[in-house]
Amino acid sequence: MSDLLCFATIALAGFTQACLQLSFGGLILLYHSSMGRHRRRKTRGLATSYILGVMILSFLAVSGAAFWISQAASGGLSLEIMLICVGVFLASAVVMWALYFRWGDHTELWLPRSISRFISRKAKHCNDRVEAFSLGLLGAFAETPMSLALFFLVGNCLVTVSANLQVLALFSYLVIASAPLLILKGAIKSGSTAVAAQKWRIKHKLFARFVSSASFLVLSAFVLAFWVY
Amino acid sequence: MKKAKNYEYSHAGVKQSILRQAKGLKIPQGWAEQIAEKVAKATDEWIADKELVTEDDLRRFVVSQLKELNADIAFAYHNHDKII
Repeated sequence: MSDLLCFATIALAGFTQACLQLSFGGLILLYHSSMGRHRRRKTRGLATSYILGVMILSFLAVSGAAFWISQAASGGLSLEIMLICVGVFLASAVVMWALYFRWGDHTELWLPRSISRFISRKAKHCNDRVEAFSLGLLGAFAETPMSLALFFLVGNCLVTVSANLQVLALFSYLVIASAPLLILKGAIKSGSTAVAAQKWRIKHKLFARFVSSASFLVLSAFVLAFWVY
Repeated sequence: MKKAKNYEYSHAGVKQSILRQAKGLKIPQGWAEQIAEKVAKATDEWIADKELVTEDDLRRFVVSQLKELNADIAFAYHNHDKII
């Protein structure tokens, strides 16, 4: 496989992960509650720690998947596992369209309410960087049912790409997957508020459903076309 | 069946909860204080003749009052637990 194909797959997988809403929602919650209780500098620190938490979990998951593939799957995923990944992506596309967002004038997600309440409570009472970091880890971990197959796909790309480009490929994935969080941080730093972001999310909920579902569909077609055939 | 918890109503509690939302919206403190005080007073009057109200009723009333004074705070107050 060419390096270009690996990078294209990584970009597409990163975009697909960026469409998942749990970490983003957690950051909005953290921002809003922290701005009401702390100084701006502290809020910025908490947000940075949260984003680091999300990125570290993705980093560990992708690196772990790459290590497993290089050791156990003799340097690349088999055709059968790639087909399973495609199946998972297709199922995820359906879930993203039909079940991921709960119905109503809000952005509540598919999560069991007890987990959602737990994350909300932790975000509202988050006071130091370690808490924010672990909240980021938790938010990204709670999203793994949707992102596990993505981690394996990216891990496979990391194993396949030229050795001198592996770090760049991993870094690209982390930046693309965390782009919404980084954009939100930039927007709030330049004067916007978490409430404005939340209003935008509610207003464009249908668009978010469509894009996230379509990204899984496109990814599955892409993998089928370039990795399976 | 899960037993509901009872809380004592507090003027300061309502005011603080509104101020927290206002601060998150970067609304100037003086203005936010005025809005919070007005809504808390209206809530005091509304609740005075009631023996028991649910948290949802209280929240709905506060939101209806906030809508007249500041739509952004009303939105934040109404939606802060419906984000994820």
